[in-house]
Amino acid sequence: MGLFGELIEASGGRWIRGGLTAGLVGLIALALVNLNWRIVGGLDFAVLWQYRGALAEGLVMTLVLTAAAAACGMFFGTILAVLTQVPLAAARWFAIGYVELFRNTPILVQVLWIHFALPLVSGINTSAIVSGVIAIVLQASAYFGEIVRGGIRAVPAGYGEASDALGIPVYTRWRRVILPPAFRVMIPPFVNMTISFFKASAILTVLQVGELMTVSTRIANAIFKPIEILTLAALIYFLFGYAISQSTHWLERSLARREGR
Amino acid sequence: MTFDLNALEADYPLVLQGLLVTLRIVFYAILFGAVGSVVLCLGKLSGRGPGYRVAVFVIDFFRTIPEVVLIFWVYSCLPLLFGLRMSAEVSGIVALSLFVAANVAEILRAGILSTEKGQLEAAFSLGLPAPTIWRRVVLPPAVRRMMPNFVNFLTELLKASSLLSTIGVAEIVYQATVLGNETFAYLEFLTAVAVLFFMLIFPLSLYVRRAETRHFKRTSR
Repeated sequence: MGLFGELIEASGGRWIRGGLTAGLVGLIALALVNLNWRIVGGLDFAVLWQYRGALAEGLVMTLVLTAAAAACGMFFGTILAVLTQVPLAAARWFAIGYVELFRNTPILVQVLWIHFALPLVSGINTSAIVSGVIAIVLQASAYFGEIVRGGIRAVPAGYGEASDALGIPVYTRWRRVILPPAFRVMIPPFVNMTISFFKASAILTVLQVGELMTVSTRIANAIFKPIEILTLAALIYFLFGYAISQSTHWLERSLARREGR
Repeated sequence: MTFDLNALEADYPLVLQGLLVTLRIVFYAILFGAVGSVVLCLGKLSGRGPGYRVAVFVIDFFRTIPEVVLIFWVYSCLPLLFGLRMSAEVSGIVALSLFVAANVAEILRAGILSTEKGQLEAAFSLGLPAPTIWRRVVLPPAVRRMMPNFVNFLTELLKASSLLSTIGVAEIVYQATVLGNETFAYLEFLTAVAVLFFMLIFPLSLYVRRAETRHFKRTSR
């Protein structure tokens, strides 16, 4: 970052760094002075080892929900994205309306709506986990659909025109010509979106679906050790979220290998 | 089952009151978060030293953990650790401020670093002093480029603020669920809340899309 480094140094980089360090030290000192040492002394992280089984189950549930959101979201999202490109106005408007509806309301409201309001309309009572999965998949379809749409738009128009000129049938045109290069540019946004849904899965705790956050709050309430268990939960979420974000490079490399270059 | 608007008639002031609480919390979170974001951004731009390392970690950490976890942690752990008494609303503002600070810091940094190299080189070879470079060369286009990202994040923040209902902040979703519990008119109240959020967020999304399309056209002439 040569030029910017120079600009920072020219604007008094030494002073900025000094000020930040001083502020950091001050903040730490303030925290140490105000910490409730009786509570800190009573912290017992070892107790969590007892609950490793439950926590692991919760983590697995979180990862399953994330994978379901990414896989189903990608599948239905691709269909939605293709629908926005077809020359049939009704299909286009359905896809656009769906995406806008789910992108512009909070997932919490969707979850609550699907669990509490939808049964009143449909007459079918869904269990918490079913409602949760429905909500997260519906929302994922909208968000992943936008990513696929962006990817398709990044494919030069010449690809579509060339397949028209060659008389390639519609299915082959999407499957072989337009979608492969579109998927390649989609990897970084796809990974980011997967992290978003990894985070969103924690929201399903309002329905107590048994993912990591549900398990953590239950344990915290049962043994009244909120600090230990919630800090641990935050760290687990951070580590796994960070691991997912690092998978971009791996995905890009493996995709490049599969295409033989 | 019919959609009964009468259910809303008696209680809609409570829903609107919840909307006001939502907007108030979002306002304060942006206010405090903005200060934090500038500090974090400076830290990450400074390139080395303890401030840099802490800023990088803080930004990554608060961007990666789920907002619910952050909200629960601030609500149930922070007061215990420091012997504070905080209302649910204050905890919510603290949690969302951290969320804002980490995310906006990254937006600021991306905007600043997207300055064209040629313009910086030109500014340096003209011998402009550093404050002038910031004020005249780096920041004006950077701010313009950041606007869509800011607005996009604002929509994220509005959506995330609904999560404060889980710790009992009397914002809009909380009011709707409480009223739903009392009257069993879940369908009406939850739909009303969804509609309100949509009306709030959709114009912002439209702006973001317009701005991005404009940018797309300009860069791919």
